[in-house]
Parts: sequence; C-alpha cells; structure tokens
Amino acid sequence: MAKKKEKVVDSGLDTIKSTVHHHSEFFDTLVELIPARFYLPDETERKWFPGLSKAQKARAKRKTTENLKKARRDRLDPEKSALTTLDLLKQKIEKEKKKLSNVVAEDDDDDDDDESEEETDGRKAKSDSVTYEELRQRLHRKIDELKGGRGGSERPRSHEKRKKIVPNKRKREKTVEEEEDKAKLDVEEAAKDLTYGYVKIDDDEEHGKGSKKRRLSKSRELERALKLEAAKKDPEKGEVIAKKHSWQAATSRAAGIKVHDDPKLLKQSIHKEKKRQEKNAEKWKERVEGQQKVRVEKQQKRSGNIAERIEQNKQRKIAKREKKLMRPGFEGRKEGVINDGK
Amino acid sequence: MGRFKNNKKGRVNVKPIAMKKNNQANVDHVTGDKIPKSFVFSRTKLPASVKQLQMDLRKLMLPYTALSLKEKKRNTLRDFLNVSGPMGVTHFLMLKKTASALSLRVARTPQGPTLTFKIHQYSLASDIAQSQLRPRCPPDLFKNPPLIVLSGFGTQELHLKLATIMFQNIFPAIDINTVKLSTCQRLVLLNYNKDTKLIDFRHYSIRLQPVGVSRRLRKFVEKHEVPDLRNLQDVSDFVTKAGYGSESEGDEEGATVTLSSDIGRVNRGSTKSAVKLQEIGPRMTMQLVKVEEGLCSGGIIFDESENGDEKIAKKKQNEDSEEEEGEEGSEEEEGEEGSEEEMDEDLE
Repeated sequence: MAKKKEKVVDSGLDTIKSTVHHHSEFFDTLVELIPARFYLPDETERKWFPGLSKAQKARAKRKTTENLKKARRDRLDPEKSALTTLDLLKQKIEKEKKKLSNVVAEDDDDDDDDESEEETDGRKAKSDSVTYEELRQRLHRKIDELKGGRGGSERPRSHEKRKKIVPNKRKREKTVEEEEDKAKLDVEEAAKDLTYGYVKIDDDEEHGKGSKKRRLSKSRELERALKLEAAKKDPEKGEVIAKKHSWQAATSRAAGIKVHDDPKLLKQSIHKEKKRQEKNAEKWKERVEGQQKVRVEKQQKRSGNIAERIEQNKQRKIAKREKKLMRPGFEGRKEGVINDGK
Repeated sequence: MGRFKNNKKGRVNVKPIAMKKNNQANVDHVTGDKIPKSFVFSRTKLPASVKQLQMDLRKLMLPYTALSLKEKKRNTLRDFLNVSGPMGVTHFLMLKKTASALSLRVARTPQGPTLTFKIHQYSLASDIAQSQLRPRCPPDLFKNPPLIVLSGFGTQELHLKLATIMFQNIFPAIDINTVKLSTCQRLVLLNYNKDTKLIDFRHYSIRLQPVGVSRRLRKFVEKHEVPDLRNLQDVSDFVTKAGYGSESEGDEEGATVTLSSDIGRVNRGSTKSAVKLQEIGPRMTMQLVKVEEGLCSGGIIFDESENGDEKIAKKKQNEDSEEEEGEEGSEEEEGEEGSEEEMDEDLE
C-alpha cells in the first residue's frame, strides 16, 4: 500500500497514464475471454423459422449447418485470421465513428456501407498478412497471463483440487541423489535398532506353562508385599529398592503380567476370599442338614407305612377266619360247654 | 455379554462392537492369550479437529476397540474402569486438550502404568488422503489388527523400554504358524529421534506387487482391464513389449520379499514381491512426558521436566496399614535380599 501511495505522489501524469493503461489491459483481457457472439449484439436478422414452409425450413437448416461447419473450420484454421472479441469490438467502434462522421458529412448511407466494408476488408487483409506470428504471440501472451506471469489479477482456482503436494518431478531429479545417500545411511543405522511386535513361536508355550506353577497363595503374597514395603522404608537402600521395584512393576504390568504389590489391595482380597469361603461353608452345612432332615422324614414315613400294612394284613386274616364260622343259627366260635365253668 | 451393575450416577453409554451377535473372544483361539482390547476416549471436551483425530485413532485400533463409544460428560474414569473389567478391555487411550498442549495418555487397566505423550503436531487421515494422488482404502483394510514396528528406541533407557513394551502389547501377537499373510495389511511405525526426543507416529497400508513383471501384464492380471491392442501386430507383442516400470521399481532391492504363499491374484508364492507402503491414517509427532505408576494416579516415576530424573512421589509412602517389622539390621537385610530374589524370579 505504501508503495502505491509513493507512486501516486511522485510523478503525477505518468503514473496516472500507467494506471489507466493497466486498468484498460485488465478489461481487455476480460473482454477477450468472452466469445464474440455473446458480447457483441447480433446484428443479423433472425429468421422466423416456425413461420416458414417445409422446403424453406429444410433450406434454412442446411444453410445453418453449413455455416456452423464453415465457422468451426475457420476458427481452427491457423491460416485464416481469428478475430478476437476485442478486435471485433474495435472494428465496431470504428464503424460507428465512421458512420457518425459520414452522417454529418454526407447523407448517403450506401457510400458509408461501402466505405466501412472496404475498410474492414482492408483491415482483414492486414490481419491476414500478420496471421501466424501474431497468433502465436497472442497465444503465448494468453498463456503467460493465465500463469500469472504479468502479475495480473489473481484468479482463484476454486474448481481445481490441489491434488499433489508432492514436489514436481523436475525438482525431484536434482535432490534425489543427495537424499538417496542420506537415506541409505539412515536406513543402515535404523536397521540395527528395530523392534517389532510380538511374534509367537512354539518355544514360548512351554515356558509359559512352566511359570504358572509358581503361583503363590495370597497370604504368601501379602507377606511378600509387606516385606517389600518395609524394605522401601529402610533409610539406606530404600529409595533404590523402591525405584527398581516401581520400574519393574510398571514394565511387567505393561506386558500383561499381574503384579501384586499393594498390601492394602491384597488384604482386601484376602478378606473377600475369607468371607466367600465362610459363606460357602454355611451354604454347604445348610444343604447337608436339609438333606438329612429329608432323609429322616422319609424313613420314618416308610417305616410307619410298613407297620400299618402288617397290621392290616393280620386283621384281614382274622376277619377271614371268623367269616367261615358265621353260619346261620350260630354266633361264632365255640366257647366251651356251659357246664365247664366250675 | 457381561451384565454389570451400573450406578445411576455414572451411566456409561457404551456400545462396543462386542455387543453384536458374534461376540469377540476374549481369548485368542489360536495362541491362548488374552486379546488386548482398547477404549479411545477423552474426558474433556475436544475441538473438532481433535475429535477427528480421536476417530482416526479408533479406526487405527480396529478391530479390537469400540468404534462408536459414546461418553457422557458425567462419566468419570471410574465408570470406564468398571465397564472395562467384564468386557476384557486392557488399554485406555485418552486424549486431552488443554490451553497449552494436546496430550495422549496410554494406560493399561486395571492398575497399570500410564504414559503421557505430548503431541506437538498432528495430521488427520483425511488430510493425508487429500494430499495423495491415489488414496487407497481396500474394503477389508480395518478387519485385521495392524503390525507394529518401533525404531530407534533402544534397550537402554527405562522409560523408552517401557514405551516399547506398552506399544507391543496394545496389538495382539502374531502366531507365525497360523497367520495368513493376507491379513497383515496395515503397519504402525514409531520412530524415536534421540536428538530431539520426539517420537514420529505413522500409519501405513501394505501392498504387495510382484517384481519383474512388466507393468502392462500386471495391470491386466490384476484388474482384467481390456488392453489397447490397436497398434500391435500380434498378441505376442503385447506380452513381450518392454515397458518401463514406475520410477520407484528399480530403487530398493531390499524392499522385496519372497512370499511363502499366494496372495491375491497377482502375487504367487515363492516368487519375489515388492512391499509398497502407502500412508493412511493420522500422523503425529509426540514426546514422552510423564510416566505414572497407576492409572492416571500413583507415583510419577518419570518426568520429562526433571531432565529424565526419576522421582518417587510421597503418595506411595502413605498407606493405611503399615506393619513395621521390628527386626534387627542384619535380619532385615537378609529379608530384603530374599524378597528381591523372590521378586525377580517371579516377574521373569
């Protein structure tokens, strides 16, 4: 911003001219981007196609297709001149100027048209003669502008996705060699110092089974933990022992091995275990008692049933015997003679 | 799956993948080990790009993670812990954005160590895909867990060793007897730079290309594209015409492997194939800042701000029941040594 101010302050006219020139160039580039048929109003008369007869329509269609083909060929033909929008616009402006001046001077429209046509033809001829070189120059200019070489307006590339952040291949070739050497050295060094994730090999299994045998009971572990605590308290070697133990414990815990070194937790778990055992013992006792009770009951009931059955059998037999002697006219068993009772 | 008691206060709305009909096994059928599963979440509110980073990390950890984990504001860490037990979740990855920095915490449940990484720079997966000319995402890319390679960590420094072990255990182990090569499709690379103490995190997809086959033949077999035979006199011309390979084909001799079996249409077993890596997924530059003993609690055993000095917090010393054994000096020492030996043996 400061620079701009300086420019304006320094030499008045020159800078104004240059800025105006700058602006006009900008607008020129904008105009050139627009194809001519959109920018300049069309002066040809449009035919009213729906109002024509069949034959006329067919003729008109053929004509338009031919025109299209011709126009395309002309556009892409490097020999012929391609009039950019800007040139057409300039032509148009000149034409109008001429018209105005001619209207003032003369009253004949036909002359004007002829003159303007001549002039356009003349201009066309001129442009034809310079075609190829000028075209090329124009093309290069356009490319440069698009690249932003002139420092023109920055067009935001909103539709282009920036896909690669990888540097261009040209740059790569230069620095590739240096990097390769460095990389080789690094790779060698690093290869000495690589650690991988765990890989299971058969040997380890046996080792694992072996170490499981040595599981201490909780009370033993508690003793050990307490001893460890006491050792840490020791003024001389306490700190060393504490440090060593904490690192060892952390490493083995990270590896998944359980480390029991907190006496408080150990006590809690011992307590829990005891309670659990007590509860289980009680349950067992209850169960045993219950079973006994049930057994006793059943046995009693059974023996009761058996005794009843025996009784009933006996009574049945007696009844059967008695039944035989229940003849009509008799009252049962002979109970001796009347005279017998002395 | 697991029916757990959720207090009304802290209801975690968790919809992990394991809720589907084919439940994920807790134990790998093949190796018999527990498969490590993870939760990726954040306890604070995250800005949009960090939320995307969280999503990218979740995709990275697939298939053994909850892709559509929903966390509510009132869920605390305890809620996640309670849920993780029955579901067999072993690791938590927590993102946290504060005014000063963005940090990633990798922790092991239930009372494992927590590593805090400060993320200096990151790129999202979508940015990387946009920067590429032909981004590649085959449909079953995320059906298998990735491989992991760590470089430059060394075995000397304790905190680095801890970090290696941590990362090695986040992804399940490979059984070389039963693994199928076609399931190894992704790669996570962590590179430690000693000078700047920064860890580079990269995520690639693996592609195998047969070596020594002309480009036209390879494309034809891979895609069954009908070739353009307009200018050729004979089919043999198509087959034998020497085409130049791509720029990178002649470069690395070391990146070729001999496959043991056939993969896909093109790569045949026991022939050379080139391994091509194409970057997908997020890219991060991070620095290990803190190591804590517990899950976001406990003593700090490594703190970057102390220039790598290890410090024990006083917290560890305050415990409720301390039984001080009144022993004499010599006995105590014996006891210590005995206990240390026991520890070493058992922790091997």
